[in-house]
Amino acid sequence: MNELVVSELHAGYGGAQVLHGVSFTVGEGEIGAILGPNGAGKTTLLRALSGMVKGRGSVRLDGVELLGSSPDTLARRGVAHVPEGRGTFMPLTVEENLRLGAYVRRSGVDADLDRIYGYFPALKPRLKQAAGSLSGGEQQMLALGRALMLRPRLLLLDEPSLGLAPLVTRELFRIVRAINEQERTTVVVVEQNAHLALGIAQQAHVLETGRIVLSGTAARIRADEQVAQSYLGYRV
Amino acid sequence: MAGFLQQIVVGLGAGAIYASLALALVLIYRFTGIVNFAQGELAMFSAYVAWQFMAVGVPFWLALVLALAVSFVGGMLIERVIIRPVEGAPELTVVIVTVGLFIFVNAAAGWIWSFLIKDFPNPFPSGAIEAGGLTVGFSTLGVFVVVGVVMGLLYLLFQHTKIGLGMRAVSANPDSARLVGIRVGWTLALGWGLAATVGAVSGVLVAPLLFLEPNMMGGVLIYAFAAATLGGFDSPIGAVVGGLIVGVAETLAGAYVSAVGPDLKVGVPLVIILGVLLLRPQGLFGRAVVERA
Repeated sequence: MNELVVSELHAGYGGAQVLHGVSFTVGEGEIGAILGPNGAGKTTLLRALSGMVKGRGSVRLDGVELLGSSPDTLARRGVAHVPEGRGTFMPLTVEENLRLGAYVRRSGVDADLDRIYGYFPALKPRLKQAAGSLSGGEQQMLALGRALMLRPRLLLLDEPSLGLAPLVTRELFRIVRAINEQERTTVVVVEQNAHLALGIAQQAHVLETGRIVLSGTAARIRADEQVAQSYLGYRV
Repeated sequence: MAGFLQQIVVGLGAGAIYASLALALVLIYRFTGIVNFAQGELAMFSAYVAWQFMAVGVPFWLALVLALAVSFVGGMLIERVIIRPVEGAPELTVVIVTVGLFIFVNAAAGWIWSFLIKDFPNPFPSGAIEAGGLTVGFSTLGVFVVVGVVMGLLYLLFQHTKIGLGMRAVSANPDSARLVGIRVGWTLALGWGLAATVGAVSGVLVAPLLFLEPNMMGGVLIYAFAAATLGGFDSPIGAVVGGLIVGVAETLAGAYVSAVGPDLKVGVPLVIILGVLLLRPQGLFGRAVVERA
């Protein structure tokens, strides 16, 4: 059971509190979308989940508390975070980037590389190329591939659509969905493009100035026109 | 002509030593972005450690291995205890800390072993190879071999081991390195240990050529800075090529430019540093930071 239960999560930087008691649940093998405007605290939320910023409250994965552990410890427990800006190891090759994703694992790494090329065939001809020379879309695929190499129990995606062409973004979300279905990985995706995120998520949570102001099934949130206008800033 | 080539051989021999210390500088710079002004003093201290082992009867090569081990652990300890608290502090703070370390290590060596010069045995046989009018001493050849082996081992470590991959990942993107599960703190300490070990090799190579005394690495450090600047501060290959070029330039300037002569040749690295910073700040092999967003 890789159910993620976040309750009363407070987090921030120095004296500045960004999250004021965030609570939500993402079921085992489900995709939870976190929506909201710029500055709502979406990135901080993911950073708290992966240990990059300290938080108070409780974050449980399969009943085990994650808060208070360092990012490298959480990676060893199966939390993979694709950060804002993709976190590429620019001067290293594409293959090295992928192998680093499996840094904490010992066996089955080569087989997993093949699995990643299955999801992202575009990466295969570029294996020996410096990752910094990839396009934005390719780097996002590389970042996702690197996260998958961990064989994560919990996958955290920060704005995967940022800076990508609409076609590339759609392809990427299709792959995220496929990964989620095939590997039963629990996913939290933070996204400004609400339409795309709602298309793959089961549950959605709207974050505004550090609080969850609305939670529900993706279908319900998409259907609620008033919600769409006031929180997501677009007409359905 | 033979005299000229002979000078080049001499220059390369000196350059290989500068290269080894420049390698240590580059290692730390790549991992932590810190220019370690104390690198030469740490190398000097390591040479003393080797000398101390020999003084109590340990044979040279075993003393060397022990000194390298002590240097490795010492380098790691310095990172954990002295550098860690200023990690992420402004560059000037870190520079001041390494300058403080320079003075401390220098004084500590003088306090422990006194400032009187000591004889340090040359591990290589005294003869020389003569070919085509050129004379290459075994000790010069020995220096080449040692620096070559060090380079080869570093290459294997970085390109063909998982630890090396992790170290390169930390230097490329520490935050992402954390997210894939690398213990970044320990990796940085490992980098310092490694640099101290490489520096120890240069200390042990320098000690027989000069005399062993607490200030022996001062000049070498300046040449190593010139070498690292010339080669590119983030490039190990650059450090070695830079070291060789600096060694040759210094020797030729001392021999053929009468205005420079043996007394002023220590000014050569200064000219090189200035020239590189003006014309090609990233050095010969360094990366100018240009990446696709």
